[in-house]
Order: sequence, then structure tokens, then C-alpha cells
Amino acid sequence: MNFLKKNTPFILAAVGFFAALIFYSLNIPHKTSANVIERWVITVFAPIMKPFSQLSFFGENVWDNYIGLVHVRQENRQLREDIKALNDRVIAAEEVNQAYRRLARLLEVKNAIKAPTLTATVIGEDESPWNGTLVIDCGSSSGIAEGMAVVAADGIVGQVVKVSRTSSRVLLLTDHSSGIAATIQRSRARGVVKGKGDGLCQLEFTTREEDVKVGDVLVSSGIGGVFLKGSPIGEVTMVKRGEYGIFQTVTIRPFVNVSRLEDVLVVLRNNND
Amino acid sequence: MIRYGATVFAIIMAVVLQSSVLPVYFAAPFKPDLLLVIMVFLALRISLLAGAPLSWTLGLVKDVFSGIYLGLNALSFLFIFLVIKNISDRLYTGSVPLFVIAVSVATLSCASIDMLFLVMFTESPGIAYSVGVGLVPHLLVNAFVASIIPLIPGFGRLLEAP
Repeated sequence: MNFLKKNTPFILAAVGFFAALIFYSLNIPHKTSANVIERWVITVFAPIMKPFSQLSFFGENVWDNYIGLVHVRQENRQLREDIKALNDRVIAAEEVNQAYRRLARLLEVKNAIKAPTLTATVIGEDESPWNGTLVIDCGSSSGIAEGMAVVAADGIVGQVVKVSRTSSRVLLLTDHSSGIAATIQRSRARGVVKGKGDGLCQLEFTTREEDVKVGDVLVSSGIGGVFLKGSPIGEVTMVKRGEYGIFQTVTIRPFVNVSRLEDVLVVLRNNND
Repeated sequence: MIRYGATVFAIIMAVVLQSSVLPVYFAAPFKPDLLLVIMVFLALRISLLAGAPLSWTLGLVKDVFSGIYLGLNALSFLFIFLVIKNISDRLYTGSVPLFVIAVSVATLSCASIDMLFLVMFTESPGIAYSVGVGLVPHLLVNAFVASIIPLIPGFGRLLEAP
């Protein structure tokens, strides 16, 4: 008796442990199904857990969507500014890229021309829709004089007509007052390219017998001394021979798109030179 | 003095807009003639003595940036100014529709006079075709610009007879 009294806590602990072990071992085969105790506990706690769970979700929601977003507006503004700055850089880089390509093409032409040239930027267009002139940012202070030829990477642009100290005006080959002595590259037929409006030109004084076909390339003949011989002018887009008359009507589309010109080369050679 | 300054500023801005800014965004026939609009505005507003030389000068400024014949637009601007001035005393010059109509008629007249003098005195074959093709859009754009200008605060006050 004395033994039992003395070791009661130990014996109770051992019995408890043993009972727990038996309980555990008895439940091992029923691992996938709930027993009475489990069902009872779940049933009791479920209604209590539900509102607490919803409260927890609400708290999480408040934390994530409100308290946690305290600096989001500022961050969003910063990110927008970053995007804008990056977009600006992309646009600037693209602009530099385009300018590089344009100037590289112009440099090829510059190297091909056997005369001193000057690169100028187009800074203005004609105020009237039916006249064809451009304003460039170089004038007499840069050595430009009236009558000098102006070319672009694709071909002839026109010639300098009015020069001030810091800017000049260029009469485009598409203007009605313009005239360039030209030759059909294939057949060597000659004529004068005159502006026709609508960004087109016309080859005049080409007799009906001359061999001109659609697609023929026109180059300057060099007569007159303004444009270097062989400079590309444009392509024949239409040939019309009437039943009567001495000449044929030839429409030319210039190689240079004058409405998109940004940089041009002025050939620093006057026809008096 | 402020009025003269404002007029000079408006002319400079019109030239810069018309020559360097608008061509980037609009095709050639849709370029408005801002100097012509200013000239019509002045014709309805200022006296003959001050307006006649000013309109001639406006035309001259346009000639410097348009075409190659200096004095052509100066002549047409002066002619249009004189005609408008001659009849403006009998009209209610503060009317917005009148301003739009005056600009439209001035655009037609300017193109016709330019074409006439180019055909008569210069070698410009095909100019009639180019003017004919570009005239309608040019006229519409000018009329549109003329209809916008009255939205500038103070337009009615400025157009009152002095």
C-alpha cells in the first residue's frame, strides 16, 4: 500500500501514457475517418471557428488592401514617372537611330559626289499648298549661293534660289518654276524635268520617237552645270503619245519624297565655277 | 504700343506655325493660310491708312516664305484688303459668320489673283491644275481656322469699330 501511495503520481502518469498509447494505436487503422470524439469536437468548434475565420480574413483583407497599400499611390506615381522617363529614352534612342541611318545614307552620297558639299537641315516648308520650296538652316555665311544644287540620299531635291545669311530657300524639283535637264538612263533620251504639282514632275521636250518606257530611270544630264551629271531624279510612271503632236507626255515620280525631307546636301559648286 | 507688339508677335507666330510646325502634322493642301486670316481680321478692324501698308507687308512676308516671286502675295493681299475695307463700313464686323465668310472669299480671291498673275507674267505651266486641286481643302481649312479664332477671348471686343 505504501508503495502505491508513494508512487501514485508515477503510476498515474504511466497509466495515462499507456492509455494514450493504446488510444493512439487503436486509432491508427482509422486514420481516414473521424471517430466520435473528433466529430464532437469539430461539431462544437465549427460554429465558433467560422466567424473568427471570417474576421481573420477581414483583418487580412484590411491589412493587404489598405494598411499594406499606404505607399502604393506614391510608388505608383514613381513608377509612372519611371515609365515616362524610359519611354522618353526609347523615343530619343529611336530618333538618334533614325538620324544615324539618315545621315549614314547621306554620307554615302556625300562621298560619292566629287565636289565639296554641305549638310543642311530643313527648317521650314512653303506657306502655300501649291508652291514647292523649302527653307534650310544654312545661308551665305556657310558658303551657299543661289543656283547651287541640293540633293538628298535618294536623289536630286532642287536648287537654292534665295539666300540669306543664316538660311536659304530651295526650289524643289516638283515646283512649277523648276526645270532640270535630264536623260533617260536606259535609252539616253533627253528632256527637261519640270514640276507638275502633287509631288510629281513631267519630262518635257521629249519627241515622240524617243524610247521612253514606264519604269525608266531619269538622271540629270549635267547640261546647265547646276546638277552633276548622272544624279538620280526619278522614275517614269506614265508615258502618253497622242495621235498628233511632236512631243510625248511623260510623268515622273521623283525618288526624293520632298514631304519627308529632314537633311539635305548642298553641292557647293556654282554653275559659274 | 502693346497692340503693335501683339500684332508683330501674332505675325511671327503665324509664320513659324505655318512654315515649320503645321507642315509636320498636316498634308500640304490642309495647311491654313494664317497670314491671310490675320489680314482679313485687320481689314475688318483697323483703318485704311494703317491697314493698307500692313496688309501689303503681310503679303510680302508670305512671299518670303512661299513661292519664288516676291510681291505676288503682297499685291493680292493689298487688293483683298482694299475690297474688304471698302465694304466693311456697311457691315456688322463683329459677326462671327461674316468673319468666316470674309476669310473664305479672301482665300478664293487670293488663289485666283495669284494664279492669274502667275499665268500672265511667269512661266508656270500647270499652276492652274495645282491651285485647282489644292483650293477646296485650303478653303475649308482656312474657314475652319476662321471659325476657331472668334473663340479667343476678346474677339468681339477687338472687332468693334474703333
